[in-house]
Amino acid sequence: MSIIQVERVVKDYITVVKKPGVRAALKSLLFPEKKTVRAVDDISFTIEPGEIVGYIGPNGAGKSTMIKMLSGILHPTSGHIRVCGISPQQNRKAVVQNLGVVFGQRTQLYWDLQLRESFELLRRIYRVDQKTFRENMEMLQAILGLEDFISRPVRQLSLGQRMRGDLAAAMLHSPSILFLDEPTIGLDAEAKHAIRNFIKEINKAKKVTVILTTHDLDDIEELCSRVIIVNRGKIVEDGPIGAIVNKLTPMRLLEIELKEFASVRPHPAAEIVRHDGLHVSYRFDKNQISASDLIADLSKQLPIRDLSVKDPTIEDAIREIYKEKELVSRGA
Amino acid sequence: MFSVLRHYGSVAACYLRLTFQQQLEYPLFLASWILMIPIQYFSGIYLLKVITDHFHHLNGWAFPDLMFIFGLGLLSHGLMVVFFINSWMIGRMVIDGTFDRLLLRPMNVFFQLIASYFNFIGFIDLIPGTIIFLYACSLVGFEWTLPNILKLVLILVGAVFIRAALFVMIGSIAFWTKKNAAVHHFTLVILERTTMYPLNLYPYLIQVLFTFVIPIGFISFYPASAFLDRDRFVLPFDLALLTPIIGFVFYYLSQLIFNWGLRKYESAGT
Amino acid sequence: MNLAPYYYLTKMRILTNLAYRFDVLVSIGTNLVLMVTAVFLWEAAFSSVQEKNGMGVRDMVTYSIVSTLLGTLFVCGVQDTIYNKVREGQIATDFYKPIPLLAVYFADDLGAVASDFMIKAIPLLISGAIFFGLPLPESPLSFLLFLPSCVFSYVILWFLSAIVGLLAFWVMELGNMGMVKDAIVRVLSGSFVPIWFFPEPLQWISKFLPFQYTYQTPLGIYIGVIGYEQALREMGIQLIWAAVLFLVLALFWRITKKKTLIQGG
Repeated sequence: MSIIQVERVVKDYITVVKKPGVRAALKSLLFPEKKTVRAVDDISFTIEPGEIVGYIGPNGAGKSTMIKMLSGILHPTSGHIRVCGISPQQNRKAVVQNLGVVFGQRTQLYWDLQLRESFELLRRIYRVDQKTFRENMEMLQAILGLEDFISRPVRQLSLGQRMRGDLAAAMLHSPSILFLDEPTIGLDAEAKHAIRNFIKEINKAKKVTVILTTHDLDDIEELCSRVIIVNRGKIVEDGPIGAIVNKLTPMRLLEIELKEFASVRPHPAAEIVRHDGLHVSYRFDKNQISASDLIADLSKQLPIRDLSVKDPTIEDAIREIYKEKELVSRGA
Repeated sequence: MFSVLRHYGSVAACYLRLTFQQQLEYPLFLASWILMIPIQYFSGIYLLKVITDHFHHLNGWAFPDLMFIFGLGLLSHGLMVVFFINSWMIGRMVIDGTFDRLLLRPMNVFFQLIASYFNFIGFIDLIPGTIIFLYACSLVGFEWTLPNILKLVLILVGAVFIRAALFVMIGSIAFWTKKNAAVHHFTLVILERTTMYPLNLYPYLIQVLFTFVIPIGFISFYPASAFLDRDRFVLPFDLALLTPIIGFVFYYLSQLIFNWGLRKYESAGT
Repeated sequence: MNLAPYYYLTKMRILTNLAYRFDVLVSIGTNLVLMVTAVFLWEAAFSSVQEKNGMGVRDMVTYSIVSTLLGTLFVCGVQDTIYNKVREGQIATDFYKPIPLLAVYFADDLGAVASDFMIKAIPLLISGAIFFGLPLPESPLSFLLFLPSCVFSYVILWFLSAIVGLLAFWVMELGNMGMVKDAIVRVLSGSFVPIWFFPEPLQWISKFLPFQYTYQTPLGIYIGVIGYEQALREMGIQLIWAAVLFLVLALFWRITKKKTLIQGG
């Protein structure tokens, strides 16, 4: 059974329209003008236990709103949500007992107190018995290396240490689902690595289902077996990274190093994008010609010393989507 | 049932310990409060002294009586500030997003809101409160008999609940408006002027409002009148019982409003 | 000196204040409660006494209404602005900026005064007039003297607030001393109970403090308890206090700036 089911979910916000100028401000003081904004527009998906899903899209695409609805903070305007078979709207406490949530921008740790004090509070809130608590702490300490700073006040921790503390806090009660909202924001490379490593470990060892929103595409490439891309409240793509990239950017790059100077000619199915001394790059659509056919054709004309085929990255794919978005908004 | 109580009790005890440590982290920070609170309240009572020195009494309330009601009102204010201060924070928590965290934990949201901050600084309000009240008691000849002490305790408990209920209702406004800092100040001002000064200074309509609509009069005015034996305000029940009863009813109402606001928050979002 | 940027700041403050519809209504309500309760308290006091220190109940009603109006107009946001900047450690970077910070804060507060006059003081005045009758000045001349006296009062209060705000730079750990200052001003300015009612020794001490020249002086002029000649004398004292506090502020500001630049914040 799917661990998360989202069915035709819609979320509307009502906001007050603000206009410039003293007169407009006075008018808005007396007669505020209201407007409905649709943040999530008829979204459906399911997530299976043990998946790591990246939920990505530009700012204002409705990512945080979806996370808030999945965790019961917000209720959808219409549609159904089931987490572990339970509706977060109807039985919030039962759902959150099984949930760990980390907001990268905000901490749930006590700022002025030692890190361990926050853990003790959470142990009591989630009614974790001493034995499980000890076991979980040992596991979390081992992966996250908390022992260096567990006895320090949280305000003295580096951002990376604080984030590791927050991840541990979210996992103390052995939840089966983990929501991460921008978990690597503002962190240095080493801290990012530690956090990705942690996510992989708990996913493997404890079969924790992870949903993360992020702007860091390395997070996605390294962690996610599947991505859901949203834009303007709707799902644009949903599937394995490879498939999405293929679909959005079918272009490949063939980079060739020549043994000696030779006259380089374009190929009917590939254009030359770079020619610099002994280095030549061809770009081709893999739906028109396969890489091996292209190499076979070119090796007849050129003295090839070395070659490599480059796949486009998820970044290129996302850029395609954002480009589309701009076109759409310019059109509108 | 017992296990639920033990769960909430254990979390409350932990919150108590953590907030105590937290507030001890910045001991000097209290200095401005330790200076301001006594200045504010002692000067407040002094101004009443100055007025009664010239005018002898305000609608039948001589200075010792005024001091009695001022002290009684201040005591319940201090207790409210110690236990229920987080009802003032709803607006701020909604804006900075910390309120969401309460919804992410498998416990009653209102319990988490109130229990998560035990305000030791509030004891500063209780110091001038106690001094003024004890001094007033000696001036008006309050008898420290067991029944009187029991009545006093009941009245204080009821009064704290009336105040807390009021602030919970006011705080719940933040679920609709997001901003409610201004409403706090408004409520504090009203409470100060109606519980630390006698209610009968004001027109009949205002007295009715603060008796039957918003039962602020039961915080200190009616109890003080009864203690000081002013038969102008004969009420059919014994006030020592009426104040706590009204306190609990009003508090229950505030819970309904809080839960209503919470549903609104969940459906509207920020 | 180019005043255009300050005018812009003032205008921006007016606009932001207008945007807070709900806060405006509540703030009017709060001040209305303060006004109404003060008036009723004085009416109760005067119920058995006709006159005291040459003042009747009408005088004290007017005094209380106008005092509340001044309370909404004397905006000294500078206190919290400086306190918060020090707390967040932003004051050091601001010191490096080539702008006269105090003038910026003043322009900002003037904007708040202007917007509060429109959206708070006028509704308050109308409600006060409906409930208790228009609070008229003793004479047209007292009104004319009252206006500049209010300006001096505001300047004194503003300098005091700025000085107290700067205090945070030196004793941050003590918290916001502005609250303490406000508590003292409430009593010693005569905004609620005029100093004339205080015992002689306190009155004598108060003469040498700046506080009574912030509320009591303009209010006394307004209701005519302070005669024309004395009004001019008190306005002279107001000016002296304004000058003294300005010098203290300027000096304090320079020392603070120097210390910040040496420490690097």
